[in-house]
Amino acid sequence: MTAAFALPLFWLMVAGYAIASAGLVMPTRRLVRMAVAIGSVAGGAGGLALACLVLWTDASLTIEAPAVLAAAGGWLVHLDRLGALFLALVSGVAIPVGLYAIAYMRSYEGRYSTRWMAFTFGAFLLSMSLVTVAANAVTFLLCWELMAVSSFFLVVTEHDRQASVDAGLWYLAMTHAGLLALMAAFFLLGSGSADGSGATFAALRSSAGLLPSETRAAIFLLALLGCGSKAGMVPFHVWLPRAHPAAPSHVSALMSAVMVKLGIYGLLRIGLDLLGGGPAWWGTLLIILGAASALTGVLYALVADDLKELLAYSTVENVGLVLLGVGAGFLFLSLGQPEAAMLALSAALLHLINHAAFKGALFLSAGSIVHATGTRDINLLGGLITRMPWTATTLLAGSMSIAALPPLNGFVSEWLLFQSFLPGVASSRASIAGLLTLGVGALALTGGLAAATFVKAFGVTCLAIPRSPGAAHAHESPGPMLAGMALLAAACPLLALATIPTLTTITGALAGVAGLPSIAPALHVGVTLRTPTGMATMSPVAVAMVLVAVVAGTWIVLRLIARRPVHVGDTWGCGRIGQSPRMEYTSTAFAEPLRRVFDQLYRPVDDTAVGVVRPESPYYIESMTYQTTIHPWFQRVLYEPVVQGVERVATWTRALQSGSVNAYVGYIVFVLVILLAWVIGF
Amino acid sequence: MDKLFSEVAVLGASGVLLCAILLVWRHHIDGYITAFKWQSNVLAALTAAVAYFGDDRDLYWVAALMVAVKGVAIPRLLTRLAARVGQHRESSPLVSTAASLVICGLLILLAYTAARPLQAMAAAPTHGGIPLAIGLMFVSLFVIVSSKKAISQVIGFLMLENAIALLAVLATYGVPLVVELGVFLDALMGFLVMQIVLYDIHDTFNTLDVDALSRLKH
Amino acid sequence: MFNTLGVVVEIAQALLALAVAPLLVGLIRWVKARLQNRRGAPVWQPYAELRKLFGKDTIVSSNASWIFRAAPFVVFGSTVVVALLVPVFVTPLPFNQVADLFALVYLLLLGTFALALGGLDPGSAFGGMGASREMTIASLSEPAIALAMLSLALGAGSTNLGEIAARTIAHPTDALSPGHILAFAALFIVMLAETGRLPVDNPATHLELTMIHEAMVLEYSGPALALVEWASWLKLTVFLTLAANLFVPWGLATSLAAGAIAMAVAATVAKLVVLAIGLAVFETRVAKLRLFRVPELLAVSFVLGLLAVTSSFSLR
Repeated sequence: MTAAFALPLFWLMVAGYAIASAGLVMPTRRLVRMAVAIGSVAGGAGGLALACLVLWTDASLTIEAPAVLAAAGGWLVHLDRLGALFLALVSGVAIPVGLYAIAYMRSYEGRYSTRWMAFTFGAFLLSMSLVTVAANAVTFLLCWELMAVSSFFLVVTEHDRQASVDAGLWYLAMTHAGLLALMAAFFLLGSGSADGSGATFAALRSSAGLLPSETRAAIFLLALLGCGSKAGMVPFHVWLPRAHPAAPSHVSALMSAVMVKLGIYGLLRIGLDLLGGGPAWWGTLLIILGAASALTGVLYALVADDLKELLAYSTVENVGLVLLGVGAGFLFLSLGQPEAAMLALSAALLHLINHAAFKGALFLSAGSIVHATGTRDINLLGGLITRMPWTATTLLAGSMSIAALPPLNGFVSEWLLFQSFLPGVASSRASIAGLLTLGVGALALTGGLAAATFVKAFGVTCLAIPRSPGAAHAHESPGPMLAGMALLAAACPLLALATIPTLTTITGALAGVAGLPSIAPALHVGVTLRTPTGMATMSPVAVAMVLVAVVAGTWIVLRLIARRPVHVGDTWGCGRIGQSPRMEYTSTAFAEPLRRVFDQLYRPVDDTAVGVVRPESPYYIESMTYQTTIHPWFQRVLYEPVVQGVERVATWTRALQSGSVNAYVGYIVFVLVILLAWVIGF
Repeated sequence: MDKLFSEVAVLGASGVLLCAILLVWRHHIDGYITAFKWQSNVLAALTAAVAYFGDDRDLYWVAALMVAVKGVAIPRLLTRLAARVGQHRESSPLVSTAASLVICGLLILLAYTAARPLQAMAAAPTHGGIPLAIGLMFVSLFVIVSSKKAISQVIGFLMLENAIALLAVLATYGVPLVVELGVFLDALMGFLVMQIVLYDIHDTFNTLDVDALSRLKH
Repeated sequence: MFNTLGVVVEIAQALLALAVAPLLVGLIRWVKARLQNRRGAPVWQPYAELRKLFGKDTIVSSNASWIFRAAPFVVFGSTVVVALLVPVFVTPLPFNQVADLFALVYLLLLGTFALALGGLDPGSAFGGMGASREMTIASLSEPAIALAMLSLALGAGSTNLGEIAARTIAHPTDALSPGHILAFAALFIVMLAETGRLPVDNPATHLELTMIHEAMVLEYSGPALALVEWASWLKLTVFLTLAANLFVPWGLATSLAAGAIAMAVAATVAKLVVLAIGLAVFETRVAKLRLFRVPELLAVSFVLGLLAVTSSFSLR
């Protein structure tokens, strides 16, 4: 009976996003914003309801349109549980972002076209939702490409800034390279089945078992390339720290929280669902790349001075953590330990969902800060906690969650990731045990460095005194923006408390995929999480309750027993009077000890120059300039040679365009002659 | 009893390896010499323990010889050399200390993977320490490769000798006494020759920096 | 599961740890003084300090926000929660289902995070410097802790504190196994880093070149400072208790009988005193490391942890 609701909800979702896109034709700017907001919220609500319906009941949704794109196999939409999980993610984040956009888009009015922004925004949301419900290769690829193109336009919204255009070009190039890889992967997948490309996922799944192992390996690697670059996996992540800061903040939130997760979805769909897992080296490769992404992301986030670039690198880090879990899942599956694989994959997906919540909150808060102060540079911010209290609170909530502090949701998913590695360390094969031990070490180091990064991100941005006039004159953001941020920030502790239902839903979504067992009953006892393979237990609810009780109790006891007057005075300055912003610690200074420790990885370029010197003596220096740049070496070593090679080839090919008409006609004649000779020859 | 033997063997091998880690951590030549001295003493103690558990009287002599030669004589000679040459610090190593330590950790993990076939062959209770001996070999080679002072490279070479001795003790309860005596003599001779060469290098170049040796090309 | 006696015992153990913490720190200071040929303050001096601080007024910087005022409560609260979870004299605890080693590490990280933010809030250079250095050391000691705990967990098959203690009680010879000893060494180095003892940080200094923890809490005064100090002493006690009761767990009560508990209290206090004296002797022996040598020390502890984990590979 409830299944009857599935189709209407689907059309509600499509209609909602279409309304958002219809902002293109709205007469007034205010209507444009309202269209975007109402459309996103309605579409999001529809999508979320549909996803919950599929996840919690036996409903499913199938829409066929074989006439559309008939040559390539027709349009096919089928929502199963795995897709529903990601659809819930897309829709869930669309709602707060839509609310946020009502007020946020105001800052773009006048300079840029908000109508075009609304149109591409609606298309972006629609395409992301459709990727999760696509059920054959052509639908999937079409929606994937639509997602890329619409987000490209959103990234280059500020088209008068060179940095944004640059970012957009990098993004476009890399996403299309990924698309080519994906197309090749689907082509190879379809080569095993009878009716060639455009086969439905169901047909591909059954025929994939007959493919030779080299083809399966090629498909996996191509899918890794295509989906991994979308997800921001090292070394294909270079577009992320450029594109996410350049895009408007609500779009950045969507991209970080949702779009990169669709890369993981693609990987799971192709690698796990269609191919059904593979040999041990797949998992090993994923673990190594995941660890590399996690460490690279957090190390560059640590030294980033641009708030949004810091958050973008932090997304790379969290995607790395998710890949660690996914890799462990693939590995355990290949070793014949399906329960351990299920735990690892569930931990990874739980972290994915938690990350969407706190990263969305963080990006929206960052957008609010940039909107109010006019700068993204952390070194110019400060003191925002008194001027923008709500924004600072959501930033704090997001920072505490991403630093994996109890009792919030980041802690729960990192705990679960740790636990999922334990069965591997206990394995009898030394190479597996060694690899997973290093994985645990990488996980721990990433967690510690992330905590340090977010102390910097929140502490230097919001606390102490403002370091620039922009920050000093900041004011709180308007209501709708606060509503959007608050929704996502409130989701963090709520997701922590609701871990067990979430985990049950995730294991329900994964059960049956690639033969994974359903271990939901073994995962919890009452409100306590329990690992099925070991005896580790942890209760997020209990931790939260006890922590809150003790902290509150201490405060109450202190008020009762040792109530002392509080005086306000100056910060201790060793006898000096007055405190100026120049005396505070900056973001660069905060990260300096860790930068020194990892000097050989960063290879910073330090430059110290003497500025003004007193005439009496060259040793009386009045001012000096210190400049330090960290150029991500991935680009220097991996990408710049490729770009230079392509430029060289292009310059060489340019010789063909000589500009003379004789030459062009000559080319035509030449080709005709060759063709004629070929045809005659055969 | 066998379990105690295994644990003592692994504990001893870990101790020997830890002295190597200590060496990678320290920056002064004196620290290197101390680490090497302790390593030789721990190795001698382990040999004596294997002698006790494995009922092999010859190994007691080997242990005593190890203490005499590698625990006392060679460190004394090294200290004299260091004092004479005047180099006390390893300046600007090729790889930073923290990175070297992490690389040593990775080498030890690699040794575990590489030692699988060897462990399967050796049925003795001491087979648990074999990967550690191979790890020590890798770490010594790493020390030789990443040092810039000739004297550190010599100490690395001596550690490699210790590693091979450790492997011999753990895998086959040592080799016949005659062979052990020959190996000791060899090591001592080699060390004396290296000493003479080091004095020569120092007299010619006034430094023990191996980068200076590239001047010999011209 | 929720029997009242169990809850009472659990709260009593946290209160006992809280009460013993200043005594332990006083003992360490007294032993260090005697070893350095000084008379030293009496062993109960820290109690007098706490009493003095609770009686003083509070001065708050004009630049500070609610974070500065809330941080002492968060750090004190999280450390007390950790004290509730560590087996001080009973195992398994009534709250055992939450007594997980990784949960412990992250609860302590919560305290450090709060203190670091509290250090940045007043906007002084001391606070920023202390916060930056403290986060550096905390983040670099994470892998070492994780591997040390991993090796303990491998032995017991779980990261649950009660399980680990029970396993060592059941197999006494395991206490001398290489994995245990190496894990203890790794944990000892990490403890020095996390609790700010020599050679990582000098708890008695107030020179800006050498401060880490002290710099972070420079602005606190009155009851807030009392809470922060007490929390750091409690953190030391908790680490020492972990070292004592996970590696040498004999004497722990396995039931809630009065006799067993009394013996357990005596045994734990005795173990803590021995460890405190050992720590004092060790601190007198070593000199403080330069700040940029501390990561190397933590890398050594990482390798120790790695060796601890791998030693269990071959003994399987």
